[in-house]
Amino acid sequence: MIRGSPLPTYLALAALACASLTACATAEIVGRQDETSKSAIEDPPGKPGGKTLLIAMPDSRDFLDARRGLVAEVKKDFNVITFVVTPTTTIDDLAAAIERNTPVCLVLMNNTTLALFQKYQARPSARATPPAVVLMTSFLEEVASGVKGITGIAYEVPAVTGFINLRMVVTARIDRIGVVYRPAFGRFVARQRDLAAREGIETVPMAVPADASADQLRTALQALREQGKIDALWLLNDNGLIHDGAFIAATWRPILQEMNIPLLVGVPNLVDPAQPFGTLSVVPDHESLGLQAANLIFDLADNNWNVGDHPIELPLSVKTVVDVRQVRERFGLRSDALHHVDRALDQSP
Amino acid sequence: MKEPLPRQRARMTVAVRSRWLGALFLLFALRAAPVAPAQTNKPELHVFLQLDAKSGALEKLLQQQLPTLGVTVFSRYRDLDDASAAVKPDALVAISPVLQQRGKRPALQGTRAGKDIEPYLLVSVGNVLDGPLSGKTIGAVDVMGRDGTQAFVAVLLKTNDIKVKRVAKTEDLLPLLEFSAADGILIPSSALARLTERTRLPIKSKEAPGGSVGLPALAIFNEANKETITKALLAMDAATKKILGIDAWSAR
Repeated sequence: MIRGSPLPTYLALAALACASLTACATAEIVGRQDETSKSAIEDPPGKPGGKTLLIAMPDSRDFLDARRGLVAEVKKDFNVITFVVTPTTTIDDLAAAIERNTPVCLVLMNNTTLALFQKYQARPSARATPPAVVLMTSFLEEVASGVKGITGIAYEVPAVTGFINLRMVVTARIDRIGVVYRPAFGRFVARQRDLAAREGIETVPMAVPADASADQLRTALQALREQGKIDALWLLNDNGLIHDGAFIAATWRPILQEMNIPLLVGVPNLVDPAQPFGTLSVVPDHESLGLQAANLIFDLADNNWNVGDHPIELPLSVKTVVDVRQVRERFGLRSDALHHVDRALDQSP
Repeated sequence: MKEPLPRQRARMTVAVRSRWLGALFLLFALRAAPVAPAQTNKPELHVFLQLDAKSGALEKLLQQQLPTLGVTVFSRYRDLDDASAAVKPDALVAISPVLQQRGKRPALQGTRAGKDIEPYLLVSVGNVLDGPLSGKTIGAVDVMGRDGTQAFVAVLLKTNDIKVKRVAKTEDLLPLLEFSAADGILIPSSALARLTERTRLPIKSKEAPGGSVGLPALAIFNEANKETITKALLAMDAATKKILGIDAWSAR
């Protein structure tokens, strides 16, 4: 606790300490003052003449985790400059950061940042833009076609990864998995179906309209139940399929009760023994995503930064949350399952 | 709807805005401070093994099994490296190459069926990876950082001309095969059963030509606590040793 007013002295000491630390550097932050004050990003010391990676990203937790994993890997080989993107960051801000730091490669995190970069590329005054590795951006494979010189890692966990993890938790058979999807997700579901087929898992898709009502969703789920002979359901990360608690109560819950099959979800909040819904949640492991991104950056560096030879990768590493009580009571818990999940939720009744 | 605040720029550098320097200093001080587990009076044991069990579950188990020790299990090499740099543990359990990288020799060597080494397997889909491996992409768990893991894999495969795709955790190797992101993966032979349990891919394997690797072993960093630590490990039950991939400890 600070008594009296030692703060000025403290600040003077701090200033002296920091002034003597030529390596002490912070991220470039452009945005509202209240947001800048929360930032805890500190870039590693740069080396004179070193090649620079410019990381453009929001400063919320998941992005910071990915950055931590990435920076730990690349800091010996590159100077790292972090540029925090906020809702008020403009193309001019991004352009200034790129032109000031002349990075050999950019790392862009999230759709907003990628959209800024796309607009930056489109400016008549834009110089040759550096290649970019894109992370944590929804449906990257779809949006990448509109942006030049990028590669990256898809953000969506491949369904097959979830299916395999589900198999390793429950004793019940998992061979056919149903999924309801809106048209915008059609290509994504088709790709996931192909990947799952390699593992001998059949994905049974059921389309609903873009503005699917509760009735239409119930009808689709019932069709899966009656015709699909499915062993589990996979819920896409699509707000149009869940809306809110009342919508879930009117659609998913009663059908899941009737079918008595596990539900694979992509959001941990949907796994809650107190309000049973999702059986297993599989989400990206952001820190490990940073390692995967570092591998990609090293590959690019070895290949003269030619992104054209590096297709967008799928994420390799995930974290799992399981409703143990639901599994134990309804689907059978494998004897070693709890050694293989990151979070086991087991609230007693 | 709330109006956005007027846009304000806050480009921070070391030299500007002295009011930030206090916060910066604090941050620096926090970063410089040990990021080690909570300090207890117990000798601190670090564990870094490429097992299929999650580190949280293994840590809980080991804490129960080794009540006289403070146990921290690391699933990622970087986490181990960062923690070791902040505060040196009293001891480390890891495979022999990791101990050698730290200039240490085992005080206790794990054995399985009387052997203290195991072969590594080069695992692929469809066909065994016969013929020259030159130019192939091989997945491996990051056991010793970028250079160390590259060297580790190169020795085991007897070629430097390979591209190593490092993953953070053992379970991340299977997706490399599922997504055709690697020609093969390198795993300890003891990990094959679990891999084939997880997948229905037509898995093929062959022994890595570069020899075997030491099983998990204990290295002591603080000789003052050697007796306490070795005694605790020697008392470990069979089920826990099995999870570590061994069935006995042998004093060295």
